[in-house]
Amino acid sequence: MRKKNPGLVLILLPGVFLPSFAYAGGGAHPNMGETLPLYSVLPFVGMLLSIALFPLLAPKFWHHHFGKVSAFWAVMLVVPLLMAYKGTAVYEILHIVLADYVPFIILLGALYTVSGGILLKGTLRGTPGVNTGILLIGTVLASWMGTTGAAMLLIRPLLKANAHRKNRTFMVVFFIFLVANIGGSLTPLGDPPLFLGFLRGVPFFWTFNLLPHMLIAASVLLFLYYFMDSYFYKKEGITAAPDDGAKEPLKLEGSYNFIFLTGIIGAVLMSGMAKWGDISILGIHRGLQDVVRDGLLALIAALSMAATPKTLREENAFTWFPIKEVAILFIGIFLTMIPCLKILQAGTKGELALVISAVREPVHYFWITGALSSFLDNAPTYLTFLSTAMGSFYPGIPEYQAVALLIKDNPIYLLAISAGAVFFGAVTYIGNAPNFMVRSIAEEAGTPMPSFFGYMLKYSLPILGSVFVLITFIFFI
Amino acid sequence: MKIEKILFPTKFRELAFNALEQLVVLKKTELKEIVFLYVIPREEVGFVPYGGYLKDEEERIREEARIRFEDWQKSLSAEGIDSKIIIEVGSPVPNILAASEREKVDLVVVGRKKKISPEMSFVGSHTLQLITRSKIPALVSKYMVQFDSNGESVTRVNKEIFKRPLLASDWSEPSERALNLLMSFKGVAEKAFVCHVVGVKISKGLDKSELYRIEKESKERLQSYCERLKSAGIDAETHLGAGKTPLEIIRISREIEASMIIMGTTGKDHLHELVLGSNSHRVAQMSELPTLLVPQI
Repeated sequence: MRKKNPGLVLILLPGVFLPSFAYAGGGAHPNMGETLPLYSVLPFVGMLLSIALFPLLAPKFWHHHFGKVSAFWAVMLVVPLLMAYKGTAVYEILHIVLADYVPFIILLGALYTVSGGILLKGTLRGTPGVNTGILLIGTVLASWMGTTGAAMLLIRPLLKANAHRKNRTFMVVFFIFLVANIGGSLTPLGDPPLFLGFLRGVPFFWTFNLLPHMLIAASVLLFLYYFMDSYFYKKEGITAAPDDGAKEPLKLEGSYNFIFLTGIIGAVLMSGMAKWGDISILGIHRGLQDVVRDGLLALIAALSMAATPKTLREENAFTWFPIKEVAILFIGIFLTMIPCLKILQAGTKGELALVISAVREPVHYFWITGALSSFLDNAPTYLTFLSTAMGSFYPGIPEYQAVALLIKDNPIYLLAISAGAVFFGAVTYIGNAPNFMVRSIAEEAGTPMPSFFGYMLKYSLPILGSVFVLITFIFFI
Repeated sequence: MKIEKILFPTKFRELAFNALEQLVVLKKTELKEIVFLYVIPREEVGFVPYGGYLKDEEERIREEARIRFEDWQKSLSAEGIDSKIIIEVGSPVPNILAASEREKVDLVVVGRKKKISPEMSFVGSHTLQLITRSKIPALVSKYMVQFDSNGESVTRVNKEIFKRPLLASDWSEPSERALNLLMSFKGVAEKAFVCHVVGVKISKGLDKSELYRIEKESKERLQSYCERLKSAGIDAETHLGAGKTPLEIIRISREIEASMIIMGTTGKDHLHELVLGSNSHRVAQMSELPTLLVPQI
């Protein structure tokens, strides 16, 4: 029996939509996605638009108040949801926090901490060959140490090696394309969306099915980069690197952190393979192996902190600030995306039935997941379209089973969503978290970076757009 | 050892200039140049979530710092002291340490200039990190302090800090270096004091004769320090204390109305330092006086 909940009038914005949301109130709601009104996704939209627009329009305000903005949108969703759905809402909130958010942040934090303990030192001369080599190494490493980790490891050496070069902007742009995004497409460690897929049952090595897509995208970009760099190198008339003191041989300090990195891979792999039964945390059932994985990741991060000298991290300009930012923003994202995920999972019975029926072919998934991943963070976008696919093919089936069926019967859809989410993250500065970190470090080092739209119009749309069209024709049509 | 070049990092907090003014007197010794350093915390301008870097904000902060420093430079110039301005983006502690080595300074002046709440520690976490890690003598300046004395809150302004320095020695190599540094204060130190504390750890369990031997030896060493100071042209007197070292040093400093405490710092017992802090750091944290710490080479 549905009944109105007048208390919501005070809380939720557009009164005209209120009754439909209020109708959802009272009683148990096992199929929350079927009763949630469309406007319940507004806080999610608000959250993502805040991430997209505030850094552009009011960067200083955003820098100092992003936590409050995130909290605002979270409260805008959580309070009405709790009032309307009571116990069901509590369950859904706890579930997304304990089963998604916490493991997500722990993995990101562990990868960030461990990779922040590795320092590449020495004198590198920024020739086209060396630069292409750095990009290639970063692309390979990204799937194993995360796009953030690989980007943080290599961006400073790349900038230092090319400090004498006049044209450096395109180098950083290609670095964002390859190391901060496309390189991370092969494992759940590589890019946050893939880890969220892993948490929902996508096997660790299944993501390797993206290897052909990644190889084509990376090869085209690396060739193009090499030719562009060679052109500018000649144009700049550089015959030798400037003599700026004694040459330091190349060396990797803190390389024992690669052992910790192996530990992270092992812990994540273990959680995907072991089945040790469930335990209940605050009423949420979680696999014991997942809890052990999270504990191991936290322990590995702590060991890395203890083993790595402070001075090494200082030389790496390691700071907790970026990871704190991600943690603060993502609690808002994860909470506000609950209605969106639920409605999409309800398939044609939910308010987003139109989207479900409009997105049918793999090519649709690739481009729509991608287009949205460009402007919204790619992790929630991936989950949204994974839910769309599951809602489309297997409405009402439990998530874990639906993922297994999707992989078994319609893997091309998951490939399209994964490739779209990871690859298109490079299209804008806001597509993926490492993009803004790389941009920030490059600008601090004096490398001029294009504006938000300059980056898109001059680089990502013409270059990546062509690569994605190629990928579409080869794999998704 | 002598002080020719000083690094003066600042956050432009209240009374920072007053603290700077206390150093000008060193012109009478060997001081030639003061290097001003302002570190713009990276978090202030970088890593805007999904944004990037606030270049304009960095420029604004740089300009503000430059204008303030140039105002200070005028005062120093009038006293015949050269100065240099460094403004960089980074993290305060590593940037200060790096600048002190890069600029080859002889002294780095750290610490908050005013203690507002009457807590036990006069040293913040950044300053503690700096004095623990610096390979260059570090002065914790403490221009204005508030502290509890006999149940009352007392405000003290530390002026003429080089006038009555107290050297607390544990006979270590850094203490020897601290003595050498103190000897360079001729012309600014009216009278110096040298003290040693027979610590609880040493005196505990010793019989009387052994204790007398240590006392005699300590007095002889103090006297030797004193004579070296006198031969360097600085009047000096000695004091021997016993008990808990940091508390004894602070007690003596108050009794003789010292203007600053100078100590060597070895940092050799890392575990002890991690748990309790070294004696020198404890004194820096607990004493209301400026504390000059001379590290091991």
